[in-house]
Amino acid sequence: MFDHRLWRNLDFPLLLLTCALVIVGLVVISSATLVNISGDQFFYARRQAVWIVFGFSALLLIASIDYTQIHRLAPYLYVLNLLLLLAVLFFGREAWGAQRWLDLKIFNFQPAEFAKIILIVTLANLLAAREGNFDAFFSSIPSLAHVLLPTVLILLQPDLDTSLVLLVTAFGMLFMAGVKSRHMHVYLLLSVIGSVLFYFFGLRDYQRLRLTVFLSPEKYPLGPGYQLNQSLIAVGSGGFSGKGLFDGTQSQLAFLPAQHTDFIFSVLAEETGFIGAVTLLLLFSLLIFRILRIAAVARDSFGTLVCVGVAGMFTFQLLVNIGMAIGVMPVAGLTLPFVSYGGSSLLTNLLAVGLVLNIGMRRHKLMF
Amino acid sequence: MNKSMLKRLRFFSAATLLVMLVLTARLAWLQIYRYDYYFSRAETNRIRALPVTAPRGIIYDRHGEVLAGNRAGFTVSLLDLPKRDRPEVARFLATLLETDEDWIHERIAERRFSTFAPIRLKNDVSPEVVARVREQQLELPGVIIETQPVRYYPGGSLAAHLLGYVGEIGPGELQRATEQGAAYRAGDNIGKFGLESAWESKLRGRDGTLLVETNRFGQRVSVLDQENPLPGHNLQLTLEARLQRAAEQALAGVIAAAREAGNEQAGRGAIVALDPRSGEILALVSYPAFDPNSISLDFPALRDDRDQPLVNKAILGTYPIGSTMKMVGAVAGLEEGVLDERTRIVCSGPKIFFRGENPRGCFRGAAHGPLNVVRALAKSCNIFFFELSLRLGIDTMERYAHDFGFGRLTGLQDITGEADGVFDSREQRRSRGTRWHPGDVLSVAVGQANTRVTPLQLANYAALLANGGIHYRPRLVRAVTNHQGEEVYRSEPEILRSLEYSEETWHIVRQGMESVTAPGGTAATLFRLPVRIAGKTGTAQVGGRDTNLSPHTLFVGYAPAEAPEIAFAVIVEHGESGALTTLPLVEALVGEYFREAGE
Repeated sequence: MFDHRLWRNLDFPLLLLTCALVIVGLVVISSATLVNISGDQFFYARRQAVWIVFGFSALLLIASIDYTQIHRLAPYLYVLNLLLLLAVLFFGREAWGAQRWLDLKIFNFQPAEFAKIILIVTLANLLAAREGNFDAFFSSIPSLAHVLLPTVLILLQPDLDTSLVLLVTAFGMLFMAGVKSRHMHVYLLLSVIGSVLFYFFGLRDYQRLRLTVFLSPEKYPLGPGYQLNQSLIAVGSGGFSGKGLFDGTQSQLAFLPAQHTDFIFSVLAEETGFIGAVTLLLLFSLLIFRILRIAAVARDSFGTLVCVGVAGMFTFQLLVNIGMAIGVMPVAGLTLPFVSYGGSSLLTNLLAVGLVLNIGMRRHKLMF
Repeated sequence: MNKSMLKRLRFFSAATLLVMLVLTARLAWLQIYRYDYYFSRAETNRIRALPVTAPRGIIYDRHGEVLAGNRAGFTVSLLDLPKRDRPEVARFLATLLETDEDWIHERIAERRFSTFAPIRLKNDVSPEVVARVREQQLELPGVIIETQPVRYYPGGSLAAHLLGYVGEIGPGELQRATEQGAAYRAGDNIGKFGLESAWESKLRGRDGTLLVETNRFGQRVSVLDQENPLPGHNLQLTLEARLQRAAEQALAGVIAAAREAGNEQAGRGAIVALDPRSGEILALVSYPAFDPNSISLDFPALRDDRDQPLVNKAILGTYPIGSTMKMVGAVAGLEEGVLDERTRIVCSGPKIFFRGENPRGCFRGAAHGPLNVVRALAKSCNIFFFELSLRLGIDTMERYAHDFGFGRLTGLQDITGEADGVFDSREQRRSRGTRWHPGDVLSVAVGQANTRVTPLQLANYAALLANGGIHYRPRLVRAVTNHQGEEVYRSEPEILRSLEYSEETWHIVRQGMESVTAPGGTAATLFRLPVRIAGKTGTAQVGGRDTNLSPHTLFVGYAPAEAPEIAFAVIVEHGESGALTTLPLVEALVGEYFREAGE
């Protein structure tokens, strides 16, 4: 299963882009957490570095196993996924009013992060098996059920943002698998109706305000708009070339809450300016196009669908996270892939890249 | 890959590109077109979150007298100080606060990476300092005056060992607290000793925040939002402040008198009084004491003081038990059946018990003649208890001493650091690698061996004798209330164990203790008090025969003898004479306890 010819097919640009993003993340995390309660200026950076090493080992490991093996494991993975999510609901550690973490003694583990990558694999498996049989409207119902089960479990934690990532990613994969576009339109309409109903009946006032405050942040300088206003000031005052690394006044005076996780982009934009922010977007674009390129050359539809799922997941998280920091999206608790501080999320994203590299390496059927 | 799939993939790429373009456009708008606006917003963005220290919970005695409270104090702190102004401001502050410049620079440097809260330079400064800072505010950018509650002990050194004191949290404590998830910041106060330390989590409360807008001088322009601090919980103690005060004054008086009379060795002592019906501690004195209000200034001198004012001798000091041991022998003898009330032993002066030993006898070589156990206690006759111990043997004696709580903790949890002492026995010698001699049982019987007990253990022993063998956990905290006065915790009497001795035994031993304070007893002077006291005197030799150290004087007892409400132990180190030290103390203690209020 380990063949040097395979490694010749490794997509080095994708690996390099991943490395670049992770390093950018580490630098910005260092800057964002110089001032922290532990009193150790590299407390967070050091932890993240450990996760990076661990994550790349996992990436290489997953890339070296033929993905058809993973393909075969899909049903078991699906069950494992549900069990982990149920475990969180029953034994999870509570923090910030939600139950998302499993305490594994050495670190806290967030099964919802892994649920994303597992769902991509299992859904790709399901869709690849039914390829070309999506003419009837009800033909895509099983896939929908397949997605909704883990989504609901995550929604119960409650983690609205991650469950949305699951839905959007799955939506992209259904589209890619060839579900008729008029069926897709029906789903889209149903989601819109569902969202509207949820907005008016499923949310409390403060939650509704949190979703809409980005439309007029100036009205709420404190409370719900505080984070967003501080973030906008940080980004805007960064200007064209930034205030310099470790010199952002907003970041270093810790005006920004969650600045090493959800608002990491604001720190980057303040300290490296428009140039830095656009460079980051460029790195992400290249990464996603590399993944879509592999999707195009994959040897089977399972491979294609996994790649599309991964690309969709990255794109959506990036849109929501950066969009939130610059005030075009509601404030949500999603991480910026590869850049935000956090072990579970970094590991998931690196595993996803590993999977894509795996598919790219085995694009041709090897002749022995 | 089929054609339609490729088409959809293209659609995907286009969507991604669109997302990137939207984000880029918005970034350009914010960072290039609106740069000036946001830049000036960032410049004037001086919204700061100032921590508001929560007042610590108040500590009351059992009748509501305040033992530890708070008063307002001013703190000089630094907010963000522009680099170019630093040397000048540091110089000014160094003279004003009487410290040196380097220290201020260090404080700034060490806090650079730990927190963005104001750096507290000096707590509880005088109003003059506040006035000087306010006058010069324009030349002192970033220097602010915060008001902070300052811990205040109205009684000065009253009950100092039990209340403890607070001080600035140290780096080690800060790290430990952070690891345990408690929200402390450098510069915060934390309980360091006594109740302040043991009840820290209850007393502390939760700090609030003041979201303020400041101008470039660090002056508050407006308050934008505030989260009020949650004051700490209040403690109501079992302590009688009145009794505590009287006991402290009496002990200080007795020691001063002893020194005046030429006893240079006198200088330390302890008193513990508790309610034998519940284990509630009524007074707990350790002398000399300290003033927790000025502990930070006095600390070096206190630490080096020969008499160790910082040590709570009432729970941590271990002393030879002396003749107060004799009730253990009496109870053991009666329970084991080796004697009864009528059994007489003849004391005919000093005698040699084991070959090769020096003769042993009673105080001043007295010969008490034939006596039963009650009279033996009244006279504190050594010969009687020597003979008794030979009949009992050391192992039986040890069992009873253990029953009475010697060599083990009394179970006080409301403050930490209780010592367990030692009961000298065969096992004890073995673990220390020294030999047990047959004659040692005699020394143990009259409390002159290596047995060491704490005043708290002695008071608990007195309580066991008073209440018929019920060991209540000694308690200091009666109730905890929140700042709205609602009770969040109330302690109840907790029976740790009960001694199952016959009523007859208790009765005879109590009779013996009552005869101690009756005419003809060793503490006959206490007979003139309106309240009947039962007790036992003790004079413990220290440091062997060759040294010229004066013996410690002890007294354990309870009152009223017929229905005990207070049990106590009193010890004066090198007190020399019980008549001059412990007996006046007992008189003062019991007298104050039974004094009608307002009398």
